[in-house]
Amino acid sequence: MMLSEGDWLALSVSVQLALLTTVILIVICTPLAWWLARRRLPGQALLEAVLALPLVLPPSVLGFYLLIGLGPNGPGGWLANVVEQRSLAFTFTGLVVGSVVYSLPFVLQPLKNAFSAIDSKQLDMAAVTGAGPRDRFLSLVLPQCREGYVSAAILGFAHTLGEFGVVLMIGGSLSGQTRVASVALYEHVEAGDYVSAHRLAAVLLGLSLLLLWGLFRWQRGRSGPGAMP
Amino acid sequence: MSLALSIRGRRGAFQLQVDATLQPQGVTVLFGASGAGKSSLLRMVAGLDPCEGTIRFADQLWRSSGLSSHGKRNVDLAVWQRPIGMLFQQPTLFHHLTVQGNLNYVAKRRHSPAGQVEKVIEQTGIAPLLPRRVDSLSGGESQRVALARALLGTPRLLLLDEPLSALGEEHKRELLELIALAAQTVPVLYVTHNMDELLRLADQVWLMEQGRIITQAPAAQELSRLDGVLAQRADATALLAGEVGRYASEDHLQSIIVGNHALWLPVSQRPAVGEAVRLRIAARDVSLCLSAPSDSSILNILPARVLDLRDVGPGQCLVQLGLAGQCILARISSRSARQLSLFPGTDLYAQIKAVALV
Repeated sequence: MMLSEGDWLALSVSVQLALLTTVILIVICTPLAWWLARRRLPGQALLEAVLALPLVLPPSVLGFYLLIGLGPNGPGGWLANVVEQRSLAFTFTGLVVGSVVYSLPFVLQPLKNAFSAIDSKQLDMAAVTGAGPRDRFLSLVLPQCREGYVSAAILGFAHTLGEFGVVLMIGGSLSGQTRVASVALYEHVEAGDYVSAHRLAAVLLGLSLLLLWGLFRWQRGRSGPGAMP
Repeated sequence: MSLALSIRGRRGAFQLQVDATLQPQGVTVLFGASGAGKSSLLRMVAGLDPCEGTIRFADQLWRSSGLSSHGKRNVDLAVWQRPIGMLFQQPTLFHHLTVQGNLNYVAKRRHSPAGQVEKVIEQTGIAPLLPRRVDSLSGGESQRVALARALLGTPRLLLLDEPLSALGEEHKRELLELIALAAQTVPVLYVTHNMDELLRLADQVWLMEQGRIITQAPAAQELSRLDGVLAQRADATALLAGEVGRYASEDHLQSIIVGNHALWLPVSQRPAVGEAVRLRIAARDVSLCLSAPSDSSILNILPARVLDLRDVGPGQCLVQLGLAGQCILARISSRSARQLSLFPGTDLYAQIKAVALV
């Protein structure tokens, strides 16, 4: 197409980042959302507030703390030492860590809602009919929460794709590594290259619209007449 | 012995303490007002709610806490490892599966023997429902499928928690028959606060009050016990065991033989001659006279003997009558009891205004 090779690369970094982030978040958020949805423990409200912070914080604030945390003097730096690097800031790994934090509420919330909606009698009945905990999760919870998982994945993916402020703080815009599409767009505008900016913006707009449209269409289809409650 | 319980449990301020032994056969009805702890007890037996103490089923220890003869040990067999089948008030079918899917779910996990699935489907008559989605079923159909699902796992104990409370009359009758049928092969612990269901199903009764079982007794015996909880109720009813006799087609009346006597009653469906049946006779439908009335419209007038009598409430008297070695109750006014000068040992005639097969 009409995108430059550099933009294609940036777009590919964005998609890789979004995919990896989504997979990690689904894995992390499944037990976390289950715990938040099905248990009542002290300190839960505070924890939920902390986990929801990325929804309201300016991405630059988040990015700033991540920059400190991932830098040579933060826990990220210590971790980087293990793999003989100085810092996780300005690396793809760092971006993944940042994106996981940034997009967490978008995956957590749909999963939590889906888990809350499961009738505990269904779980009881599954246990009575011979299903152990793992079995119950795979044979009952997952299929009954399919909608929640699809929503969580699409929102997590789309939101990571749209990430800008955080990447700007911790990314460093290394082509092929940390230069994502949104940052590439910003740089086109900075450089006054409005033609490239237009093209990239249109691709991002189209892609995001497509994802959300797909999600809403799918949700409507499932809540239509005769759908499962 | 099938199930032996000695457990304590707590739910907020509510305390449950139960020591009881389930008969290995038939239906034991766990009867009591709502809030007495019936469902909690059932959930503890199933392992769905925690409890302290001991639960032993046949040769298997399901729960044991604290000290035992072998020293300190703690056994808590998980729910899914207890060989039980259960019904809740709501059918609780897995709504992401079809009816067939619901049955397969259990058959796969309980390794139902070959032919078991077909047998249960036929028994419960759910074959036409198999491809249906569960949210398209009526309440009665759903509960029938839920019962089929419970039976499929070849349970060694059925725990039924008011399974009929959400159903209409017709479906109730249908399901009661299926439950009675199932009870021929597996012991059933059946929770209800409904007298009809107790009369229809109970072989044994456990009466529960405020977290404790206050009585464990055969149903017929407990129903006719004058100082019992059940006899105090306005709908006090006794059970008589009998055998199906001949059918008088000219009068459309069925005879049921109880001892040397025959009771005549209209029936909607003729049972097979010789079949063992139960009759229910409400205390308020029995009146008494000292000599055999020859000019009464009442069909069933049988000689009986007063075993005991007791005042219950203002002006009312409950009389326990011996009839062919069994007991029925009569609720009469205290004045009548005085005028007839009834006392234990009085021979008289019981006029039974209404009697029905259960």
